Amino acid sequence: MTADNWSFVFAAYGLAVVVIVTYWRFLVRRERELSEGDTLRRHGSGMPEPQAEQRSP
Amino acid sequence: MKRLLGAVTVVGLVVGLVMAFGIAPREATQGNVQRIMYLHVPSVWVAYLAFAVVLVASIAYLARRSEGADRLAHASAEVGVLFTGLTIATGSIWGKPTWGTWWTWDARLTTVSILFVMYLGYLLLRGMIDDRERGARFAAVLGIVAAFNIPLVHFSVYWWRTLHQPPSLMKPGPSTMPGVIVAALLVNFAAFTLLYVYFVTRRARVLRLEAEAEA
Repeated sequence: MTADNWSFVFAAYGLAVVVIVTYWRFLVRRERELSEGDTLRRHGSGMPEPQAEQRSP
Repeated sequence: MKRLLGAVTVVGLVVGLVMAFGIAPREATQGNVQRIMYLHVPSVWVAYLAFAVVLVASIAYLARRSEGADRLAHASAEVGVLFTGLTIATGSIWGKPTWGTWWTWDARLTTVSILFVMYLGYLLLRGMIDDRERGARFAAVLGIVAAFNIPLVHFSVYWWRTLHQPPSLMKPGPSTMPGVIVAALLVNFAAFTLLYVYFVTRRARVLRLEAEAEA
């Protein structure tokens, strides 16, 4: 029977959680910054606000 | 829709964790360190999927000059690089207690590292060229060329004598693994695929907003 090496298991899963959450937070923050900038530009130019549903990636 | 996809992805990942730690048994030969495979194998699956999407979107961009295809290729490459990095890191963490080393210049490890560097170069190339159309065109060509490395990575364990074991699941024919281990792997494959779709959708939207802000 081999050693369980739980520390390696937790290190791998911990690293994955950090990487995935960090990337998700980057996407959310960047999207919010750009959406706010987009809203400000539309207000400045007098353009109508687009409906959220009309936007697609 | 975005929130729904996010919620389904989180549920999928939680179920995947329950399968990996609660349902799947302790592997007889490797012990509990084998549970890293429920993270490592789906990560490389997402990397393959992401780079295959880069290939298709790059061809579509060159054929139609569609900005949507370019954004999809860019987003997918970024997510692919993220998951290739995760594959290498988790494989290394698994390798230390199993092989006795963090790293070896084995054919599979070397080819996957080349894959990682090639797509890192793809992202750097996009960032280096100011002319958006020119950058997209060059990146599309690199996205097509780099995809030739994917079969090289996958079949390296058959073509060369390697320390890395051959595929247990992504191969023709029935699996030799116990059903519960296969089920845990498949649930994590599904959860990671959802995570890929969620990340690419959000990244492509960010890229579109960036393009609009620059215009």
